[in-house]
Amino acid sequence: MTDPFILHNPVLWRELAGRLRSSKTVLAAIAIAVVSSLLVILRWPTDATIDLASQGALEIFRPVAFAVAVAVMLLIPAFPATAIVGERQKGTLSLLLNSPTSTTQIFVGKLVGNFLLGCILFSVSLPAIFACYAMGGVSVNGHVLPLLLVLAGMTFQYSALGLWISTRSQSSEASLRSTYAVILCLALLSIGPSVLVGKQSGSTAIASQAMTTLSPIPALQGITGSQGTAQAMGVQSGWVWFVIVSVAIAILFSLMTIRMLDPLLLDRAKPAGKVLDSNAYAWWRRLLFLVDPKRRKSSIPFWLNPVMVKEFRTRRFGRLHWLMRLVSVCAIISLVLAVVATTGTVKWGVDRIAASMVILQIGLLMLLGPSLGANALASEVESGGWQLLRAAPISTWRILSGKLLSIALTLLLLLGATLPGYVTMAFIDPKVSGQVGNVLISLTVAAAMITLISACVSAYSRSTAVSTATSYTLLLALFAGTMLIWVFRGSPFGPVLVENALLLNPAAIAMSEIEAPGFNTYSLTPRGWYVGLVICLIAGLLLAIRTWRMTRPD
Amino acid sequence: MEQHAPQSSRQSLKNISRKEICFMSETVVETHQLTKRYGNFTALDSLSIRVARGQILGFIGPNGAGKTTTIKILVGLSRPTSGSATIAGVDCSKHGARIKQVVGYMPDRFGSYDNMRVHEYLDFFGAIFRIPTRKRRDRIEEVLNITNTASMKDKYVESLSHGMQQRVGIARTLLHDPEVLILDEPANGLDPKARIEMRELLLKLAASGKTLIVTSHILPELSRICNVVAIVTAGKLRAFGSQEEVMARLCPQRSYEVQLAPDEILAGARDKLASLLLNNEGISISEAERTLRFPTSRSESELADVLSQMVQAGMKVTQFREVTSDLEDAFLTVAASTD
Repeated sequence: MTDPFILHNPVLWRELAGRLRSSKTVLAAIAIAVVSSLLVILRWPTDATIDLASQGALEIFRPVAFAVAVAVMLLIPAFPATAIVGERQKGTLSLLLNSPTSTTQIFVGKLVGNFLLGCILFSVSLPAIFACYAMGGVSVNGHVLPLLLVLAGMTFQYSALGLWISTRSQSSEASLRSTYAVILCLALLSIGPSVLVGKQSGSTAIASQAMTTLSPIPALQGITGSQGTAQAMGVQSGWVWFVIVSVAIAILFSLMTIRMLDPLLLDRAKPAGKVLDSNAYAWWRRLLFLVDPKRRKSSIPFWLNPVMVKEFRTRRFGRLHWLMRLVSVCAIISLVLAVVATTGTVKWGVDRIAASMVILQIGLLMLLGPSLGANALASEVESGGWQLLRAAPISTWRILSGKLLSIALTLLLLLGATLPGYVTMAFIDPKVSGQVGNVLISLTVAAAMITLISACVSAYSRSTAVSTATSYTLLLALFAGTMLIWVFRGSPFGPVLVENALLLNPAAIAMSEIEAPGFNTYSLTPRGWYVGLVICLIAGLLLAIRTWRMTRPD
Repeated sequence: MEQHAPQSSRQSLKNISRKEICFMSETVVETHQLTKRYGNFTALDSLSIRVARGQILGFIGPNGAGKTTTIKILVGLSRPTSGSATIAGVDCSKHGARIKQVVGYMPDRFGSYDNMRVHEYLDFFGAIFRIPTRKRRDRIEEVLNITNTASMKDKYVESLSHGMQQRVGIARTLLHDPEVLILDEPANGLDPKARIEMRELLLKLAASGKTLIVTSHILPELSRICNVVAIVTAGKLRAFGSQEEVMARLCPQRSYEVQLAPDEILAGARDKLASLLLNNEGISISEAERTLRFPTSRSESELADVLSQMVQAGMKVTQFREVTSDLEDAFLTVAASTD
């Protein structure tokens, strides 16, 4: 009898044991266990009435299922996303690739290791899930098993995706950012077209419905019996399809990763840099890039903060030439959406279009903001640049203001890119101009919160990878977590709790201002802005204290 | 022709040498009873040194000896628990901002930024040091020429070889024209050619009037450039002075080496040599080199007698020579005494 191939894989055991020894894994497991248990304890019936319709158990099961799914989405991708790029940075990948272990074995070890780790992490919520089963309204075949399969499907899919991105990335931080961006797109943006198209028929509707199989949200809605919400949004998709699609995606990306894992992967020359000052195509390049990266930069003028200029020129993510292109694309999209909404060429309605513009902006803020903020100080410490700044005659305030300005200006630039769309809307329908103003204030508060929270996390982290993962997790928990509470408005969460939770979320405030479906019943301004400003003040204060301490002599 | 050089030119040569003497005797870096404690651990214990203008101080010690602690205090990144340190008359712990203007510091880590070209890197640090834009442009050209990196100015910093990065690091420290350069392990990880180039660059900087404090583990390299040496172990200064002074203090005995023919039995030869020297202490054997080495205070004629007696005793001596003690021996002597 031969031993199973997987069990004798040294990479698997090292991966799993290494991850399980980490305090981050223990913290993640504790967080999942605490949140899922708390949700059950808070809603556990205290009276002696019999629930004949079995709705009580489902009301508890629903938030538990979604909370665990969100935890899987937020916590598990961080592990595979750093698995291969981390090895490359440490120099151990070359040792592995030059050993008799095949690339398939290395990959399978990594994939199975991360998949098992994910399973261990979400399995700590099993007591909470079975508590719902014990109440009597939740069945194993109808609810528990499908939920576990969906969670396993998510884990498998995100592990394969994370490893593929990790193989392609040059740094752990870039890999984390891309992995979270892809997973957010898969989970949220994939249901966007379906929400916009609504209950229409035709090929567009079929295509948008097919896209929803990429997201676990419709599958979870199906399992937890909240199809009403899904159908109201025009989303219908079964959990079986989600599991099948997840496995298919995982296999596809696994094959792609195995093909890429090769010693040649390490044989990449560093770009030496080339300046094209007197090139015949220089003006073409300027038009194409808007800010040509191959043009010789001028000296930093005395009236500009040098730290801010340096950030725009050198940061790993969000360099000026890419930003300008992104802003241009956003401006075009917002204009098109505004014209479509206001001229009524499509019966989508102004509220839906405005909501999609807000979602687009929040999505971009969430994609760029945490990464920029998380890089602010941690990357400086990591690269050794902080030591040089400390030894230079520059004040804490100048460093901090330069860093924060570079992030804030970037995010404001992104917000500004959608201004043409809002202006067009206000011009065609002057009644919405007040609402548009409030939406922009809310989005500015969101940008400030994202900037200061992620920069604060960065100041307290020693590596950009940890800082990026923590920032994304914190901000997603704040923005997506409060939205999750809103999804379960009515039951199990009461209206007061939902409104208070939404006060923490500037995106929800913006949605309520434009009277997006489901948000028009809440009155969140100006209280929500004040809450946002208080959060910004606390984060800013913590950041300033930490930066001041870091610049002081030891 | 030289003997008939004009009086004025001879006078000016005299003047220069007198000037140089004054120049060299002016103390630029001074520490007095410098002590740094972290809780119960004493990282630096009463360190007192003086370095004159234009000198190169070689700061030697094993890992954890207190070199980096001293450097951090000198550049204003750390405060001493007691004692004082001044550079060009500026107190390092009281005037942190002013000290940054008189010192150019190159840490052991380069501190590069992604996607940054060499001239952008220097421009950024020039702006940090508030050098006016036009002056900054000229100064960047100047330091690139001094460090021989002008051809690299459009290259990305992270794409440069380690040796080139070290040169760019020195160019960065020179930007604000500091009086003192403090370089932490500048020759670390450099290939032989880059090491020679680095040595020449440091000598050039010292000749231009800069005072240098250099730490290194590559002691033969240091011995070639340093006027003054400080050996530190376990936070304490074990030796300080010119190389000659340190060598005389730490290695008072000369060392001789006897190389024997391949068929000679080394153990037997050692016994014979011990009987001739009237002791066998300190005679070491190197099997690979087929040599015997011994420390001695004997005169040249006494050693000549020892050699002739060895030959008369039938020992097949192929070489008999003095082994010059160097900084490495001095350091090993200190390390052995503190172990």
